[in-house]
Amino acid sequence: MNTILQGKKVSRIFRQGSMRNTVLDQVDISIYKGDFTVIMGSSGAGKSTLLYALSGMDPVSGGKVFYKDREITSLKEKQMADLRAKEFGFVFQQTNLVSNLTLFENVAVAGYVGKKGSTEEIRDRAGRLLRQMKIDKAQNRFPSQVSGGEAQRAAIARAMVGKPGLLFADEPTGALNRSNTTEVLNLLTDLNRSGQSILMVTHDMRAAARGNRILYLEDGKVLDELRLPPYNEIREQNRESQVSGWLSGLRW
Amino acid sequence: MEKNILFRRGIKRQKGSLIGISLLVFFTVLSLFTVLAVSLNGNAYIRSEMERAGFGQLTAWVSDVPDVGDLLQEISSQEGIGEVQSQNIIFSEYEGNGIESDSEGQLILWQPGETRYRFLNDDMDGYRQAPEEIRQGEVYVSPSMVSIMDLQVGDTITFPVARGGMNVDLTVAGYYEDPFMGSSMIGMKGFLISGADYGQIIETVEQEGADALARSGAMLHIFVQADGEAEIDQINQLLNSQTSLPEYIVEIHSAYTIGSFMMILQNAFCAILAAFALILLLVAMVVLGHSISGIVEQEQKNMGILKTLGVTGRTLVLVQEMEYLAAIILGSIMGTFAVIPFTRVISAMTVTTTGLLIPSGIPVLPCLGVFSAILLLLGGYAALRMQRILHISPMEAIHDTAVFMRIESRRKAKKKSTSVSRGIQKNGLVFHLAVRQLLSGRKRYLSACLVACFLVFFASLAGRMNSWLGTDGQGMMDAFNPADLDLGVQAMGELSEEEMEAVVRSYSTITDSYDLAMPTVSVNGTNYTANVITEPERFHISRGETCMDPDQVVLTEVTAADLGVDVGSTVMIRGDMGSREYTVSGIYHCANDMGANLGMRREGYLSIGQDEPRIWCHHYFLEDPSQKEAITSALETAYGGDVHVHQNTWPGLSGIITAMHLSLAFMYGMITVFIAIVTVMAGKKILNAEQRDLAIYRSIGCSAGMLQVSFAIRFGITAFAGAVAGTICAAVLTDPFVSAVMRLAGISNFASHPAISNLLVPGAAVTLLFFASAWLLAVKIRRTDMNVLTAE
Repeated sequence: MNTILQGKKVSRIFRQGSMRNTVLDQVDISIYKGDFTVIMGSSGAGKSTLLYALSGMDPVSGGKVFYKDREITSLKEKQMADLRAKEFGFVFQQTNLVSNLTLFENVAVAGYVGKKGSTEEIRDRAGRLLRQMKIDKAQNRFPSQVSGGEAQRAAIARAMVGKPGLLFADEPTGALNRSNTTEVLNLLTDLNRSGQSILMVTHDMRAAARGNRILYLEDGKVLDELRLPPYNEIREQNRESQVSGWLSGLRW
Repeated sequence: MEKNILFRRGIKRQKGSLIGISLLVFFTVLSLFTVLAVSLNGNAYIRSEMERAGFGQLTAWVSDVPDVGDLLQEISSQEGIGEVQSQNIIFSEYEGNGIESDSEGQLILWQPGETRYRFLNDDMDGYRQAPEEIRQGEVYVSPSMVSIMDLQVGDTITFPVARGGMNVDLTVAGYYEDPFMGSSMIGMKGFLISGADYGQIIETVEQEGADALARSGAMLHIFVQADGEAEIDQINQLLNSQTSLPEYIVEIHSAYTIGSFMMILQNAFCAILAAFALILLLVAMVVLGHSISGIVEQEQKNMGILKTLGVTGRTLVLVQEMEYLAAIILGSIMGTFAVIPFTRVISAMTVTTTGLLIPSGIPVLPCLGVFSAILLLLGGYAALRMQRILHISPMEAIHDTAVFMRIESRRKAKKKSTSVSRGIQKNGLVFHLAVRQLLSGRKRYLSACLVACFLVFFASLAGRMNSWLGTDGQGMMDAFNPADLDLGVQAMGELSEEEMEAVVRSYSTITDSYDLAMPTVSVNGTNYTANVITEPERFHISRGETCMDPDQVVLTEVTAADLGVDVGSTVMIRGDMGSREYTVSGIYHCANDMGANLGMRREGYLSIGQDEPRIWCHHYFLEDPSQKEAITSALETAYGGDVHVHQNTWPGLSGIITAMHLSLAFMYGMITVFIAIVTVMAGKKILNAEQRDLAIYRSIGCSAGMLQVSFAIRFGITAFAGAVAGTICAAVLTDPFVSAVMRLAGISNFASHPAISNLLVPGAAVTLLFFASAWLLAVKIRRTDMNVLTAE
C-alpha cells in the first residue's frame, strides 16, 4: 500500500498556565493513497486535533508528519499555505464558506489560490463540480441564501477544485439533517471511488461505514483499526452492523 | 452598585478602544492647548514686557536731531502727552557671516544696571543675569540673528560707519530678548553696545561728516496721559502737525502695531495650527462615533441580558457614557499636563525666529473654557450616539436580531446583488478579495475614510501654502514687494548709476529696470511708507487702476480700511517738502509693514518730497537671473558700504520658511499618529470580526502574507477614497480659507497654484500611511487560530 500521509509520534499538548493537557500522545499513523480512512472516537478523544495536526492546520507539540515522504511539520508558513492550496482539501462540520462570496466564487477562489490551470480552466472546473454536486442552480447565491446541505456540497466542491492529493473532512455531516447527510456521504463515496484519498473524522457510525479503513482513537492514542472492503450500497446494512460490532468491542 | 460593576467590567472589556480614544483626545488637547499657550502667552508676554521696559504707547525713531532734549520738550508739551523718554541709538547697516543686512540696524547704548532688557543664556533656553557691563568691542544681539545670519557667540558683526573702510567690528558676547524688534519678521534689529563703542562711533560719524554711513539717532518712547481721551492715531496726527518731529522722523509706530509685528509669525502659524487642531477634534469625534457603534453592536447581546435582569436602558447608556467620559477626561488631563513641557520645547525651537522665550505656563481660564467645550462636545456626541442602546429589545438582542441589526441585514441583502456584480478574478486575486471584503463591510471603514478626508484636506491646505511660499520664499516676497524684480541696487555714496549698471551688465544683460524709493509720508495725518515708483504700471493691482497720473495714489486694502477710504476717494498726503490732495485710483498688493503702505508714481511724490539720489533703489530684471549672487558679490567687493544690493529675498524669510517646514513636520507627525490610532481601532475590530473568514482563506491555501496585503489594500482603498474627497475640498476651500488667515499678515493676494506633485503628495502620503499601518496591524493574521473553523 502506498502511504500518502504519515504521522510519527505526533503529540499535541495544550498548556494554560501551569496546566498541561495532552490531547495526542505520540500517535503513529499512516494514511494510504486511495483509501477512505475514517477516524472515530469518543468526544474529546482528540479526533479533530489529530486531523488538524496531520494536515498542518495546527502545529504539533512533538513528532513529525510526512506527506508523500516530505516532512511538513517544519515547513514555513508560505510553504505550508502552498501545500494546502495545491495538495489538501478541507471540509468542515460548519460549512465555513466565505459569507460575502457566492457559492461559485467560494469554489473558484480556492482554485485561483491553487493556481492549477488557467482562469478559464478553473472556472470550468468549478462549474463542473457544482453541477456534480447538484447545486449549479444556486451557484450565484450567497451561503446565507442556501440550505445547509447545499452549502456543505459547495464546501466539498471547494475542497475538490484544486484536485487535492488528500481530502480532509472534519465531521462533514455533523450539522446536517438525514437526507442532506446521505447526499454528502454519497458525494464523498463517489469521490473516493474515483480515486480520491479521504481522511474523515466522525462520530457517526453511518458515516464511518462509508470508509474502508476505520481507526479508533482514545486518550490521544490509536487504539484499534478496522478494515473493510470498498463501500457497496447493497451491503450497507451489513457494513454498519460490522462497524457497530467492532465499536461495541471497544466499549464505544 | 451594579453601575460600579458594569463600569469596571466595561473598562476592562473595551480597554483597547478607550485607550485609543484617550490617545486621540490627548493629542487633540495637546495641539489645541499648545497653540493657545503659544499665542496667548506670547501676546501677553510681549505686551507686558513692552510695558515693563517702558516703551510707551507710541515710539518714534528719529535721526540727525540737533538737540534731542529740545525735541522731547516739544513733544511732551503737547496736549494728551504724559511723558517722553529717549534711548540713544546709532543707525547703521551691518554684516555678519558674509550676509549683509537688508535694512539699517540700531546700535543701542546700554548702561550698566539698566533693567530694560532681559539677557538669555547661551543655549537660549532660559535667562541669565544681566552683565555688569558690556565691554568695549562686544555686542549683545537678538536670538533671531541666529536664523538671519547664523550669529553665534564669538562671531563678529561688522558695522560700516563711514566710507573708506571705516568699519567697527564687534564680537557677539550673548543674546538679549528684545520685545520690541526681536522677531525675525522685523527688519530693523537692535544691538546692545557699550558706552565706549557708542562714543567712538558717534565721534567717527561727526568727524567724517558727509562720508559717514552711520547716523546718530534716538528712539522716543511717548506715553499718553493716563486720563487722556485722545486715541493713538490722534496723538500721531497731532505730533505730525504741531511739532518738528516729521523733520527727523525715520519711523513711528504704536505699541499695538509693534506688538502685532512681533507676533505676526506666531499668530499666523497659530491660526493655521489651531485650524489643524480643530480638524483633529473632528477626527476624534468620527472615531468616537465609530467606536460607540462598534461597542453597541458587539455588546448588544449582553445588554439584552442585562435588560432582562431589570437594568434599564438609561443605566446602560449612563455606564457607557461614564466609560467614554473617563477616557476623554484622562486624555484631556494628560494632554493638559503635557502642554507645559511641549510649549517649552516649542519656545526653545522658535526662539531664534520669534526672538522671545515664550512662557510655557497654561493660560488657565481660556484652557478651562476649551477643556469644558471639548468635554461637552465629545460627551454630548457620545451620549447622542448611545441612544441606540435604549431601543435594544432584550429578547431580540439575545437572539442577535436587534432592531437595527435587522435593518442592517435587510440593507445588506439588498445591496449584495450590486456589490458582486463583478465577480472575483484570478488576476489580481488579492485586490479583488480586498474589494469584496470592503464592499460587504463598508460601514466599518467609514471612519477611516472620513478621517483620511479630513487629514488630506488639511495636509493639502498646508502643502498649498508651502508651495505658494516656495523653497526660496518667492511667494512671500511677491506678496511683500510692491513690484517684481531680480536684483535691487541702491547707491549709498558717490557711485553713479552708469557705473553700477556697467558692473551688472558685465555679468548679464539687463532686460528691464525701474526705480523705487520708500520714504515715509503721512496720509490724513498718519505715517505710512510710500512705495514711490518710476513705472507705476508695475504695481500689483487688484482693484481699480494704477496711479498713472501724478495726482493719483494706490493703497493696500489694509491702508484703505484704516483710512476709511476706497477707490475714487481723496486723501491728504504730507511729505518733507509739503502736502497736497491725491485721488485713490486703485487698490494694490504689498504686505510690507503688515500692509500699511501706499504706492505713488515718482512725479506725484516729488511734488511733496525731496529728491535725493540716495533714496532710489534701482531694480533690474536680468536675462540670466542665476548671476544674481555673482553680481551681488562683485558690487559689494568693489564698492563696500557705498552700495546696498538686495535680491528678491530678505533674511527674515528663512525664519518663515523654517517655521512653515516645522509646522508641516508637526502636522505630518500628528497625521501619522492619528492614522496609526484610527487604523488600529478600526482594524482590530475588523480582524476580530473576520477571524473565521481569515481561517477559511488560510485553509484553502492563502498565505498569511497574501491576506495581510489584502487587508492593507482595503484600508488603502478606503483612504484613497477619502483622500480624493479631501484633495477636492482643499482645492475648493484653500484659497478663501488661507486668504482669511494671510490677511492677518497684510497679505491680501494669496492664490495657490500648486504643481501637480504638490496636489497629489498629501493624498498619496495619507493613503500610504493607512496602507502601511493596516499592513503592520495585519501581522496578527499570521497568528490566526485555525480552531475557529472547528468551533460550533
